[in-house]
Amino acid sequence: MRFDLDSYREITDSLVRNKSRSLLTGFGVFWGIFMLLFLMGGGAGLKQLVSKNFEGFATNTTIMFSSETTKPWQGFKRGRYWNLNYTDVERMKQMVPELETVTPVISSWRQTAVNGTNSVNANVKCVKADYSKIEEPKLRFGRFINESDEAQERKVCVIGRRIYEGIFPEGGDPCGSFIKVGSVYYQVIGVDYNSGNMSINGSADQAVVIPLSLGQKIYHRGTNIDLLCVTGRSGVRMTSLEDRMRQILARSHNFDPTDKQAVFMINTEQMFALMDNLFTGLNFLIWLVGLGTILAGIIGVSNIMMVTVKERTTEIGIRRAIGATPRDILSQIILESIALTLAAGSLGIVFAVQMLRLTQSIVNHIPDMSAQFQIDFWTAIIAALLLTLLGVIAGLAPASRAMSIKPVDAMREE
Amino acid sequence: MLIELRDVNKTYNNGQPLHVLKGINLNIDKGEFVSIMGASGSGKSTLLNILGILDNYDTGEYYIDGRLIKGLSEKQAADYRNHLIGFIFQSFNLIGFKTAVENVELSLFYQGVSRSKRHALAMQYLDKLGLADWASHYPNEMSGGQKQRVAIARALITNPKIILADEPTGALDSKTSEEVMQLLGRLNREEGVTIIVVTHESGVANCTNKIVHIKDGVIGQIEDNRQHSASVFGTSTIMK
Repeated sequence: MRFDLDSYREITDSLVRNKSRSLLTGFGVFWGIFMLLFLMGGGAGLKQLVSKNFEGFATNTTIMFSSETTKPWQGFKRGRYWNLNYTDVERMKQMVPELETVTPVISSWRQTAVNGTNSVNANVKCVKADYSKIEEPKLRFGRFINESDEAQERKVCVIGRRIYEGIFPEGGDPCGSFIKVGSVYYQVIGVDYNSGNMSINGSADQAVVIPLSLGQKIYHRGTNIDLLCVTGRSGVRMTSLEDRMRQILARSHNFDPTDKQAVFMINTEQMFALMDNLFTGLNFLIWLVGLGTILAGIIGVSNIMMVTVKERTTEIGIRRAIGATPRDILSQIILESIALTLAAGSLGIVFAVQMLRLTQSIVNHIPDMSAQFQIDFWTAIIAALLLTLLGVIAGLAPASRAMSIKPVDAMREE
Repeated sequence: MLIELRDVNKTYNNGQPLHVLKGINLNIDKGEFVSIMGASGSGKSTLLNILGILDNYDTGEYYIDGRLIKGLSEKQAADYRNHLIGFIFQSFNLIGFKTAVENVELSLFYQGVSRSKRHALAMQYLDKLGLADWASHYPNEMSGGQKQRVAIARALITNPKIILADEPTGALDSKTSEEVMQLLGRLNREEGVTIIVVTHESGVANCTNKIVHIKDGVIGQIEDNRQHSASVFGTSTIMK
């Protein structure tokens, strides 16, 4: 095919000549690419929204807490209550070398944090410095609990976002000021803006975090601890350690090592895997629906081109008679098909991006919600390339029919 | 010899084999104005298709200007059609959504001539046929005679060796038919274009200088008609 301005005019002419037909045909492709991209962007946004709940949590964490035994063991009756204690921390560290962090938590619920005349409900979490490896704090101000705080039993605290907003309504850096929780005054050393919803022991934004050693004394807990949080070294699957950890606890606390309900183990790995599977499934569905719709659109294009070629038998015959080679005809039909799919598809891409933008601005207006509902640039480019390819495929059957038109047909079709 | 047909045979095999051309021998020289005349079913259309490289023949030989036209690829055939032959059809066969000048340009487009050059050339040919004012009109805005003149311009523009006209007056009234035939005659006289007209009308054939009668797939009489006295209806009219 010779390319100059007229080659393009040939293509646009024949598409514009049947405006409504081109529009209706193009709509199939337009809608297909719109569906695919919109669903992809929407899926990505949804994933971000859901992931927000898990934010700040190490992905290979297991959290353990004690519960009543359900099996009798060595003379003990079932239904006996036992407690995790501080020795379990060292025991775990020594006997399970695959663990990177082992850290205890004790907590006191339904407390009130007071600053001047402002007060707000709070949960007190008593942790060691390495708790930050389990639930990563997003510090807006100050610092997290450190080892000196722990060793010297300093009366310091890190407060969550809602506590900060509740008792420091004027904003600003609260570090250094004192707040009262229960009957004790603590100096604020940091503000944690972590907003994940998965925090064990209540959400991080309602927590007042104090050093463990201090909490043990204030709440008269002795050596008992509420939770034992462990993370595995990289590459370690926490699921595979669960039995061993249960056995260690069973031996030192005298319960049946096979009694699964005596120790509750919450494994984030499983939760993340669940979520991943969910979104893999969702993505599969998105692709299935999106590609299916595009395919339907492409078949529509192919079909209409077929009709067009049939209609234009005489015209194509004339072209052949005055010297068009089969290749000229082939490229003309295929280029028409590409032009139609690409034009309709590009509109679809633009429309999808605009709709995603709208969705994003609506969602981000809702408090505590923020997510990117956009497809990335390269996805759009790949979509455009895919459209070109599909245009070629759609044009193949009609073009081969057009090529088989003999010049004599032009005269026969009178 | 510009055109040389040697014992050309053609059989259609659509169910019942139909032997349409039974050994055609024909020579046409450069600058001749020839009509091939026959009733419908005589094989004249098939002969025209073969002459125009639109169709293949089974046996024999066909030379244009010494070039054997046989077993060509589609591309080669298209190339020869484009460069050697100009077609004029009964129903004009202009492309409806293109203007007169675009229709004339089309064969140059397929030759790969540049846009401005082919436009200028097309305008020149339209002017020559008295249609310069109609260049930007669409075929459906023109009369039959005008359309046929556009088609003639399109046939001439590649400067072909042969003009093949298939019933060029078939869709025209007698007055316009007369004009078109005179135009073809003038082109032949003044420019030396070789023109072959296929027709079943004796009046049309009478306008040409040589009449080749074809009947049942065989060439019959070849009349020298330079006196234009072949028509039984007189020399000056085309009967409709």
